[in-house]
Amino acid sequence: MLCIFSATVPRFFQIEIFANIVEHSTFVGVMAIGLAIIIIAGNMDLSVESVAALAAMITGILFASHGVGLGIAFTPEWLVLPVSLLIALTVGGVIGAFNGFLVVVMQMNAFIVTLASYIWVRGLVVAVSGGRSAQDLPPPLRFIGIETFLAIPLIAWIAITCFVVFSFVMSKTPFGRHVTMIGGNPVATYRAGINVGRITVTTFVIAGIVSGLAGWMLAIRTSGATANLGTGMLFQAFAAVVIGGVSLKGGVGRLPGVYAGVLLLSSIQTAINLMGLPAHYTQVILGLLVLAAMLLDALKISVRRRLA
Amino acid sequence: MKSTMSRRRLLESVGLLGVGAVVAACASGAGTAEKRKMYYLVPTLLDEFQTESVKAIEKFMKDVGYETVTLNADNKTDVQQSQMNDVMNLKPAAIILAAVDFNALKPSIEKARAAGIPVMIFDRQITATKSDFTSVAGTVDIGYVAAGEIQRLLKEKNGDVKGKVLQVLGDPADPYTLDIQAGFEEKMKAFAGVEIISLPAMLWEASNAGTIVADQMVANPDIDLIFVHAAHLAVAAVASLEAKGKKPGEVMLVSSNGAPVGLDLIRKGWEQVEVEQPLYAQAAALAMFADLVVNKKEIKAGKYQVLGLESTVTLESWGPNIKIPGAAITKDNINEARFWGNLKAPTDAIQSVK
Repeated sequence: MLCIFSATVPRFFQIEIFANIVEHSTFVGVMAIGLAIIIIAGNMDLSVESVAALAAMITGILFASHGVGLGIAFTPEWLVLPVSLLIALTVGGVIGAFNGFLVVVMQMNAFIVTLASYIWVRGLVVAVSGGRSAQDLPPPLRFIGIETFLAIPLIAWIAITCFVVFSFVMSKTPFGRHVTMIGGNPVATYRAGINVGRITVTTFVIAGIVSGLAGWMLAIRTSGATANLGTGMLFQAFAAVVIGGVSLKGGVGRLPGVYAGVLLLSSIQTAINLMGLPAHYTQVILGLLVLAAMLLDALKISVRRRLA
Repeated sequence: MKSTMSRRRLLESVGLLGVGAVVAACASGAGTAEKRKMYYLVPTLLDEFQTESVKAIEKFMKDVGYETVTLNADNKTDVQQSQMNDVMNLKPAAIILAAVDFNALKPSIEKARAAGIPVMIFDRQITATKSDFTSVAGTVDIGYVAAGEIQRLLKEKNGDVKGKVLQVLGDPADPYTLDIQAGFEEKMKAFAGVEIISLPAMLWEASNAGTIVADQMVANPDIDLIFVHAAHLAVAAVASLEAKGKKPGEVMLVSSNGAPVGLDLIRKGWEQVEVEQPLYAQAAALAMFADLVVNKKEIKAGKYQVLGLESTVTLESWGPNIKIPGAAITKDNINEARFWGNLKAPTDAIQSVK
């Protein structure tokens, strides 16, 4: 797709555009990590978008200096970086643990539990902000959103690091293997002596924490938070997970594939931004391009099979 | 003995009268309270204009003796239709509607009015059917005001009305942003030297606007001015400009709706103009005419002063319509209390139009 866009979309083939694509994929990408782990474990988490929004809003309310921001500052100033990150991750982790508790201990359906969380957490965003926005984060936080390393924005490096770490965890550690086993056959995994409940709760906590991280970065990128921040990202994360080859039935999937899916969606969005299409048609084009990408992928697999 | 009996009867009578009066007062009070209750159907609480409109309408309606209950449709047309149906059963004094979808609510409005419940339209004009009163700034007019200001800014920068403008719309399914676009592009059509690139920020989500600006600043580094259709999108646009190493004012920025975040950006020098929707005046106009609407009395066409703004009531095919002029906010007039973005709601009580 990158080759096609580079050849056909004017001004697409530029290093800065590729850096933009990596940067844009940051938030959905990080959210998709947690979602993918949950789905590989045979569950579902619809709350990731709202959790990210809440983490973003709490970061905004506490540390932004305008709007509903309280402008909390530290000495030295850079302390705001670890403190705000810790708060965002904690917010996500707590909601993830709550979801996991209801699913594992209370034996409630994950779809319903996380759908409810999707609604009440977004409601909490509106409630705590009063519908208003927080704006103007302090320079140490904005530094992460502005500066680059090797032409790639720092927040994109955070996302890349997350993918590397969690790819390693999922493919090379007992925890990752157990998650995949649970998604494939939870009963057999349980009989093999693996603590299915504890691992399932851990997947929800991880999903919550990485969503909190996505929200923290989203707030940094937009220098604050609005009540509708992150709206629509759940479906993009789902699309990336599925495009990346994760089976919705659980037990199958790899995180590098998910990152490829996120990059694909991001490059399509960027191509649309550069094509100059009438506003009303952009969603249609986006959907058709995603479909075209999937057809190309299916064609590639079919050709490979014939050649093998 | 007789006088004692008479006194007792007198006391009993006074007591009975007192109880009767209290019961009657309670009954009448209850009736009045029910009769004086209004419902404000707000399209969403995810943006600052709508959030502040709730406070303003509740305050101004209280000034003229109405209690307002607000229901949020969460930007869903079907939810707002259900709310209309539910509220009709409560027989309120009136319904104030800021429609999610300008025309989808037409049957619900007709049903409410047929049931004798007046419907007042706030902010989002509905012309497809008759309503009892409409208070709007005019979304197309916002586009006109923005076009005028952008022509001025381009002329100041380039010596003539020419250059490249990036227009960041809101969600393309929202008629609000399409009206602004229509008004803006209509007035810009005359200037062939102005190239306009228009892209939508899906779901009015700020990071989508940031992405558009980031991409366009790479693809079209000669962009002179960015026009975003809401102030909260301007914040993300500025974040992207900052990330691209731009300084305040290097790329001009114009936004609309007049939210507090937009005013903050003007104060910091990132934004040059914010086209304001006169939220307080729009809400105050509803309260000023509420008694006439509820009592089904005639509303006369003409000029009215609404919070000091000269506004015009016209009798249109869709009913009485008050149009309140929007204003361009710049660094020269930014501190005026009339701008809702300063969040200083008028404290004087609103007076009903007789």
